[in-house]
Amino acid sequence: MRDLFIIIKKELSELLRDKKTIINSIVLPTLLVPIIMFGGMKVMEMIEEKEQQKSVKIGLLNAPEDFTTLVNSDTLNKVTTYAEAKDFKALIDDNTIQTAIVFPADWSTQMDSLATGEIQIYRNGSKDNVNGRVNRMLTAYDASLKDQRISKLQISVQKLTPFNKNYIEIGEQKELIGKRIGGFIPYLFILTMWGGCLLAAIDLVTGEKERKTIETTLSLPISKFKVLLGKAIVASMLGFIPAVLNLVGLIVGLKVIDGIPDSFKLAINEMLNLQSVTLILLLLIPFALFLSGFIIALVAGATSFKEAQSKATPIIMLIIIPLVMAMLPGIELTWATVFVPVLNIGLGVKEIMAGTIDMAQYAAILISLIAFAVGAIYFSYKKFSDENAILK
Amino acid sequence: MIQAQNLTKSFKTTTKKGFKKETTIVNAVDHVSFECKPGRIFSLLGPNGAGKTTTLRMIAGIINPSSGTAIVDHIDISENNDEVKKHIGFLTGSTGLYERLNPDETLDFFGKLYHIPEPKYSERKEYLFEKLGINEFRKKRLGQMSTGMKQKVSIARTLIHDPEVLIFDEPTSGLDVITADSIIDLIRESKENNKTVIFSSHIMSEVDLLCDDLAIISKGSIIYNDSFDNFKKEMKADNLTQEFINRVKEA
Repeated sequence: MRDLFIIIKKELSELLRDKKTIINSIVLPTLLVPIIMFGGMKVMEMIEEKEQQKSVKIGLLNAPEDFTTLVNSDTLNKVTTYAEAKDFKALIDDNTIQTAIVFPADWSTQMDSLATGEIQIYRNGSKDNVNGRVNRMLTAYDASLKDQRISKLQISVQKLTPFNKNYIEIGEQKELIGKRIGGFIPYLFILTMWGGCLLAAIDLVTGEKERKTIETTLSLPISKFKVLLGKAIVASMLGFIPAVLNLVGLIVGLKVIDGIPDSFKLAINEMLNLQSVTLILLLLIPFALFLSGFIIALVAGATSFKEAQSKATPIIMLIIIPLVMAMLPGIELTWATVFVPVLNIGLGVKEIMAGTIDMAQYAAILISLIAFAVGAIYFSYKKFSDENAILK
Repeated sequence: MIQAQNLTKSFKTTTKKGFKKETTIVNAVDHVSFECKPGRIFSLLGPNGAGKTTTLRMIAGIINPSSGTAIVDHIDISENNDEVKKHIGFLTGSTGLYERLNPDETLDFFGKLYHIPEPKYSERKEYLFEKLGINEFRKKRLGQMSTGMKQKVSIARTLIHDPEVLIFDEPTSGLDVITADSIIDLIRESKENNKTVIFSSHIMSEVDLLCDDLAIISKGSIIYNDSFDNFKKEMKADNLTQEFINRVKEA
C-alpha cells in the first residue's frame, strides 16, 4: 500500500507540473459551466434586444381602419398600404416588405354579418421576429373582434366559457426540472471526465514511452500491477477532479450570475444538495477508474501521443451515444438499463437530481460500475504487462 | 553474482499479406549462458540488434525469458523478478529520468521504493551527490538539464540502494571526458566494494580500462566468453575494435 502511495504521489506531482494538465483539468472545467451559463444568457439577451429594436416592413391590402391603427401604434412597424393586389412573394423576396397581410375586399360586410373572414398572410417562415410580431398583432385584433361580437350578441362571457382549467401540480419543481435538465448535467461532466482521464492516461503511459522513462519505471522494485494501478488511480483522479469542478462551477455560477430566474435557481440548488451531490460523486469514482483502465488498455501499445489519441478518440462515441439516449424522453432507469455503463450514470443522475432515485437501483448501478472498473483495470494490466506493447 | 543459464527470448512478429496474417517467431536471445562474479567487471559486447539489451532486460527482471533463467544475487529471476529488482542497479540508454522532477525528488522516489532506512538513505544520497557533483543543480528540474547532468543523476539513482549487482549499458555515451571519468571512477569503486558489474560500451578504450571478463553476443548467441586477459592474448588484430569487428564478422 505504501508503495502504491509513493507511485501515486510521484505521478500526481509530475502531472500537476504540466501546464497543459492544469489548464485542461483544473482551470477549464471550473470556468466552463459559468462561462456557458453567463455567455449563453448574455448572447440571448443581446439577440432579443436587437430583435425588439428592429423595424418590420409590413404591407397591407384592404385592411380595415381599426387594424391599420393597431399596426401603426407600434412605431417600429413601417406600413405600406396597397390599393390593389401585388405580387407579394416578389416584394418579400426583394425585401421591399417583410410580410403582407391581405384582407378580403368585403371584410366589413363579412364582419357585420358575423361571418368568418379569411386573412392571407404572406411570410417567410424562417423570420421568427417578423412572424412573431405579426402573430401577436393578429391575436390582439382577433380578441378585440371577438369582444365586439360578444357584446353585439349580448352573450355573457360565462356562457362562452364552459370550463376553466385548473392544474394542481403534484410533482415538485425539483422533479420537473430534474427530469428535464438532469440528463444534460452528466453529459457535461462525463465528457469533461473523459477528457481528463484521456490526457492523463496518455501522458502516464504513452508519455513515458516518448520521454524514454517506461523502462526506468518497469525496473522499479515493485510489481507491474502496482505501477499500473497507481497510474490508473492518478488518471481517474485527473478525470474525477474536473468533473467535481464542473459541479462546483455550476453551483457557484448559479449563485453569482445575475438574470437566472429565482424559481430555476431554487430548484437547481435543491437538486444539488449535499445528499444528491454525494450520490452523484460516489457513482463517478468507479466510473473514472473504469474510464482510466479502459483508456490505458487502449493506448498501451501506442508509441506517440498522436497515435494514442487516434486510438482512444473514436471511443468517445461509446460515451456520447448512451448520454444522448439518457437525455431522450421515454428512456427510463429500469432494471435493464442499470447495468449499461454510461447510460446508467446518465439516467441515474437524472433520477438523483429529480429526487426520485430508487436506492436499490442506485446500488445496482454502483455495483455494476465497480465491476466494470475492476474489469477495465484487469484488462489494462494485461495490456500493460504485454512486453511487445509496452516496450515497443 | 549473476549466472545466466540458457536464457532465451522469442518474439512473435505478425506480417499482414492482404487478408492473411503470417506469424513468425524470432529468437532475439538464443540459449545465452555466462557468469559474472562479484568483484569483477563483466563486459557484454555486441553490435546493435545482437540481443544485448534484451539479455540485460531479462537479467534485470524487466521482461520474462521464454526459456532458461538467470540467478541474480542468489535469486532466480523466473521465480521472483520483482525481488531481483531490489538487488540490481540498472542503467541503459532507455532508462530515462522523470523530467518534471528534480534530482532530490528523483532520488527520494527511488529511495522510498527501495525501502532504504532514512539515515542510511540521506548519507548515501549526499555521498553520491557530492561524488558526482550534483549538489549545484539538485533543485533544478531534469527537463531543464544537459545530457551530462541527467546522466549523473541517472548514475546516482542506479546506485542509491547500494545494489549487489550493477548493470551499466553505455553509461558514458555522449558525455564529456570529465563527467565520463567520474562515472568510470564510480564503476571502479563498485568493483572494489565487491559488487558484480556488467558493463557494456561501444567505447573500446573504456572496455580496456575496466573489463575483467568478456562475452561477445552476435545474432542472439554468445560467440565469445572468457576472461579479458585471455581475449587479449588470443587477439589477432592490432587493436580491440578491429578484433571485435573480426570476431563478429566471422560468427
